[in-house]
Amino acid sequence: MTAGTPVAPAPSAPAATRRRVRLTAGRRKHGRRVLINVVGLLVFAVMVFPVYWMVSTAFKHGQDILAYKPEWIPLDATLANFSDAIHRAYFWDAVKNSLIIVSSVVGLSLVLAFLAALALAKFRFYGLKAFIVIIIVVQMVPLNALIIPLYISFSGVHLTNTLLGVIVTYMTFVLPFAVWTLRGFLHGVPKELEEAAMVDGSTRFGAFARILLPLVGPGLVATAIFAFIQAWNEFIIAYVFLSDPHRQTLGVWLAYFTTQRGTDWGPLMAGATLTALPVVIFFLLVHRRIAFGLTAGAVRG
Amino acid sequence: MKARYIAAGCLAAALAVIASTASAQRVGEPRTGATKLRIWLQTDAQANWPKVVAAANAAVERKHPGVEVSVEYQTWGNHLTKFDAALAGGTAPDVIEMGNTETTKYMAAHVFQPLKAKKYPNSRTWLRGLRDSCRFKGKLYCVPYYAGARAVIYRKDLYKKAKIKHKPKSLKEFTAAGKKLMKKYGGDADFSALYFPGKYWYASMSFVYDYGGRIAVLKHGKWRGTLGKPKAVRALKKLKSVVRSLSRASRTTDEATPQQALVFAKGKVGSFIGNGWEWPYALDPKVGNPGLAGKIGAYPMPSHIKGRYMPTFLGGSDLAIPAPSRHKPLAAEWIRAFTSTKSERKLAKVGKVIPNTTKLANINRSNPQLAPFAKAAKYSWFVPTSPNWVNVESANVLQNMLVTIFTGRSSVKQAAKHASSQITQILNAG
Amino acid sequence: MSERFPAVPAPAAELLPPRPRRRFRADRIAGRLVPYGLVVPAAAVICAVLGYPLYLLGKLSLEKYDLEQVLTRKGVWVGAANYTKVLGDSEFWHVVGRTLIFTTVNVSLTMVLGTLIALLLAALGRFMRLLLTTGLVLVWAMPVVVSVNIWLWMVDYEFGVANWTLSHLGLGSFRHHDWFVNPWSGWGVITAVVVWGALPFVAITIYAGLTQVPEELVEAAAIDGAGGWRVFRDITFPILKPIFIILTSLSIIWDFQVFNQVWLMRDQRPTSDYYLMSVYSFVESFKISHYGLGSAIALIMVATMLVVSFVYVRQMVKLGEVR
Repeated sequence: MTAGTPVAPAPSAPAATRRRVRLTAGRRKHGRRVLINVVGLLVFAVMVFPVYWMVSTAFKHGQDILAYKPEWIPLDATLANFSDAIHRAYFWDAVKNSLIIVSSVVGLSLVLAFLAALALAKFRFYGLKAFIVIIIVVQMVPLNALIIPLYISFSGVHLTNTLLGVIVTYMTFVLPFAVWTLRGFLHGVPKELEEAAMVDGSTRFGAFARILLPLVGPGLVATAIFAFIQAWNEFIIAYVFLSDPHRQTLGVWLAYFTTQRGTDWGPLMAGATLTALPVVIFFLLVHRRIAFGLTAGAVRG
Repeated sequence: MKARYIAAGCLAAALAVIASTASAQRVGEPRTGATKLRIWLQTDAQANWPKVVAAANAAVERKHPGVEVSVEYQTWGNHLTKFDAALAGGTAPDVIEMGNTETTKYMAAHVFQPLKAKKYPNSRTWLRGLRDSCRFKGKLYCVPYYAGARAVIYRKDLYKKAKIKHKPKSLKEFTAAGKKLMKKYGGDADFSALYFPGKYWYASMSFVYDYGGRIAVLKHGKWRGTLGKPKAVRALKKLKSVVRSLSRASRTTDEATPQQALVFAKGKVGSFIGNGWEWPYALDPKVGNPGLAGKIGAYPMPSHIKGRYMPTFLGGSDLAIPAPSRHKPLAAEWIRAFTSTKSERKLAKVGKVIPNTTKLANINRSNPQLAPFAKAAKYSWFVPTSPNWVNVESANVLQNMLVTIFTGRSSVKQAAKHASSQITQILNAG
Repeated sequence: MSERFPAVPAPAAELLPPRPRRRFRADRIAGRLVPYGLVVPAAAVICAVLGYPLYLLGKLSLEKYDLEQVLTRKGVWVGAANYTKVLGDSEFWHVVGRTLIFTTVNVSLTMVLGTLIALLLAALGRFMRLLLTTGLVLVWAMPVVVSVNIWLWMVDYEFGVANWTLSHLGLGSFRHHDWFVNPWSGWGVITAVVVWGALPFVAITIYAGLTQVPEELVEAAAIDGAGGWRVFRDITFPILKPIFIILTSLSIIWDFQVFNQVWLMRDQRPTSDYYLMSVYSFVESFKISHYGLGSAIALIMVATMLVVSFVYVRQMVKLGEVR
């Protein structure tokens, strides 16, 4: 471990040493690089296999879905399942409702959680401990046990069968976790950064907003994806709360592929594939923020 | 400073969300001042006979111009959860479809409105199995909707090639025919003469009732499980030997996972015990094998007594009006429209199910695809009509017993006695 | 380790005195209220949504609330009868034991594998990293219902890919192998599904934390001759400790409450050797309609979780004090 300031640029003597070390270790590094990539590919293949199976099933003809010998690649691909799924009743309503719910939940939860995490991470105040304990304990209550009490409670204020009721309920499940995670990331920010910003002549809030926000970017992204997926795929609350078929979400819509006669696998897998797309798109839009590290700009100068 | 802006922004966002959704309709609030009649049907209606539903809706709306009929489809797995929540929250629907094994518990709790049979079409000729699931302590609490019966669906061509000359008329002949099939085709490790998954309790209990046994009897106000009695044990032993020698299906799954008609469609099954709709399902161009058309037949499962049929489980659904409904007369009208003779006839034809009245039995009789099931429906058995029966199903007592028997984990007698005492305990609880 | 990094507890944060220009007392008071203002929106939502339901849950656990009561919407007071019934049931204690073992196994596997994958992500080149992360997000994005059904298919007795592959790999005949006959094997499959579904979130979050570890430190340590494990142990882990604590406690809380995977993998009709506390509570409430009993079991679950995760919870609260 060096004793030097981590934030200062590396001194010249060690730099020369480093360059020498790099050259001699070059070939070994290349082999190591190949090995790591292979491992990465293997892990990818193992983790993604079930997803691949879902997508490939979506493209298979109905008769080929149940097969004694697995068909690894659907050579005879068909779009019939997708067409079937899209044309099922209330598909576009479900998409619309899910988008409304998810954007509200993600947006509001991030804002509220960030503010609360700020308070928890940077301040000391009465009630801090109580709030911390509350948000931990709240996550321990099993959702199934709360279905009926939640329904009774919401029914009393006429919020059942509304998107708002579902949105605030989802927020309640997302907030504790979001506050926790963001607090964790905020803890990881060194104090001298704040101090440096304050010396710059800004108030405490100015420092927070300008310095901390980009630095907890990764935390915000992870939290946003978490909130997105929770809200997007949730089933039981949406099913129990929303009676009107026009109000239902994609999670509920997927359940309708099952009747007493069994499940329509092809169209269900097609519907599920379509349902997974927005999450992936959202992720691809924000993924760069995950890699936004400490070294990117804030430290220099 | 910036934090304050953020706070203001989020408050604004919250208000916007509230404003946009507050204008949305609330439960029970109809559009433009009309009355909303809420009907809970299962996804089967949506998938298989949506036009019949639409016709009933139109009939009611035509007669009552201010009424909007809203059908909300439910899933079998969770509809009772949602129903209980709706009851607790005061938002129960006006009509609800219940499985005929689910009704007793709710009837005993007075959840449904008592009805007068004569006000509903064909009440005098309702199928006994369904009508019994709607009766509790002498009162009628729901209206039969449709039923399903099981029969043996088999490959005519495989039977012919195995030199099985005619349809078996007794269990003995059935087993012999099955053994011939296994001799000819059993070399393929996937082949089953009779595809019978271990947890298929509907078909398994048919054996018990055929031999004169019963699941439970009510004596002096107390239920007693009777699967441990000699007749039932004898039946289960026979069942075990039949399944062991003729079936290669999994011992631990049920008939819907995977869907047995589709396994049959794959071509390595000689016969299976299925519902009427499973025959055309095996031929479905989307998921089945249309190439088997013309090679499939059906006959009622024969009894161990020659010339008789084994009693079949009469599954089905009923329609009930929850007591808290605020539109009971309208609900009753909708049920009348939906279970009218015309509607039931259409339903049976399109859905390939058994209509709720024996008056329409002949429409199935003339259809070779549906006739065997209608025939089988004449001899049926039903589960003990105790409010706690649902708990026996939830506790998987019968399925556990069957799995234990078929996997040989314990002897037939032991497993049956254990299940019997469990049933006694659960049925008499609380 | 430099004393400037949060791995070493820093002095508790105090509200800095305002800048030495004209300051009004109102500003100072307003400054004191700032943390409350920040916390109130989130706290308000949580309390508004869960306040009354939690009270109802507690009330239900002290009542008899069967179907008749659901209909009349009024429970019958029975005091602690539900609790004594549950705690006196030997079956219940088996279920508790099973839940504890299940949670321990799942949390350990998730955290270890998640960390390994995060380290892998950090070491990969840009393209492979994006590929693997996208793959993880795909896994994360699958609805539980769909993913469980895919897994069920993979281990299907008749048509499963698993049986076919294992047989063809020469590992013996897996034809018609039933994965759920033996509860150990069945739980193995369920654990695989749960861990598989939990990995993406853990891996991505830890990776996000890894990106905040200064590269200079790692490189400097490498030059000093530290191997991968020492770098992890002495540099990475201390920086990431808050995140590890949080993820572990969250994993404990979530894995303790696992329900959907067990329920769906047993076709919504699990036998008693597949009961976890969450399943037991659900069956009592929604299948047998003893909502009072089901609520009592749920609250016992909360108490158990508090006891089990006490160490972590205390650490998390401490993280807040020492700053």
